[in-house]
Amino acid sequence: MASNRHWTWFYRLGSPRWFYETTGRWLPWLWTLTLVLLTAGLVWGLGYAPQDAKQGNSFRIIYLHVPVSFLALAGYYLMAIAGAIGLIWKMKLSYMVMKSAAPIGAALTFLALFTGAVWGKPTWGTYWVWDARITSMLILLFLYLGVLALQYAFHSQESGNKASAILALVGTVNIPIIYKSVDWWYTLHQPATIKFTSAPSMHIDMFQPLLLMIVALYSFYALALILFTRAEILQRERKATWVCELALQAGKDSAGEAG
Amino acid sequence: MKFQFDSVQQMLEMAGHGHYVWTAVLVSLLVMAWLLVRPLQLHRANLKFIARQLRREQRRQGAGEKQQ
Repeated sequence: MASNRHWTWFYRLGSPRWFYETTGRWLPWLWTLTLVLLTAGLVWGLGYAPQDAKQGNSFRIIYLHVPVSFLALAGYYLMAIAGAIGLIWKMKLSYMVMKSAAPIGAALTFLALFTGAVWGKPTWGTYWVWDARITSMLILLFLYLGVLALQYAFHSQESGNKASAILALVGTVNIPIIYKSVDWWYTLHQPATIKFTSAPSMHIDMFQPLLLMIVALYSFYALALILFTRAEILQRERKATWVCELALQAGKDSAGEAG
Repeated sequence: MKFQFDSVQQMLEMAGHGHYVWTAVLVSLLVMAWLLVRPLQLHRANLKFIARQLRREQRRQGAGEKQQ
């Protein structure tokens, strides 16, 4: 019996309804946290952090570039793991999370490339180079788009889920390449500023707002992922009784507002 | 900790790097806002679609009962 109880949390976690209701209670807090952290981080980074001795003010792009790149990569792990859980345990919710992670990851990867390009112009004198880091990030973008496209490529949801999950898993090969690219091919992109194993290679006054922005982006990511997953739950569970009740209730509420 | 710019004008210009920095900021905020607004739109559209579907089914059932 003890082992049964041990596993109930796992099954509950797999229940779309439980996820929908629990995250519904978290949302107001998560919205507040995200907006406060993002505002504080941006004001600090753009207005108060000292400018870089060599790069001047263009360096301030780091406060977006590094956090979005972090989450573009972390989001890929999350998507691949969600896909793996779906394949192994056939958990419906897991596939919904996987699908929801794809557009967010693609958007953040695009932003990593875009902010990098805009930063590259004043720093390297060019928007784009086929540098190892940049090229492997471009591949990451295509992987995200591929996972998303496969969701719509099959008539059956089940086949789409499996195909997406397999592509997501195969694509994880790219992640260590992205991390190591700046060390293996020492081209234009600078090595990582932040490493878990050593002190950051930047001044503490510049580092603190960066850390805050990274935390802010994690919070933003959680919020976006929850919002996309909730919409996906309604879409895929539209035949479930609790979703029908929810839809009728929402219809009544909006009719009441209009009246 | 000290504010790095003397005026709004100076902060916008950022000593010649303003358009790079503010382009990056603006595009990032737009894309990030889309990532929060889009799922809310989908959420609402899904609820509406389901409610409409249910009402249609109810009407059809109601009509069926009358015929009998």
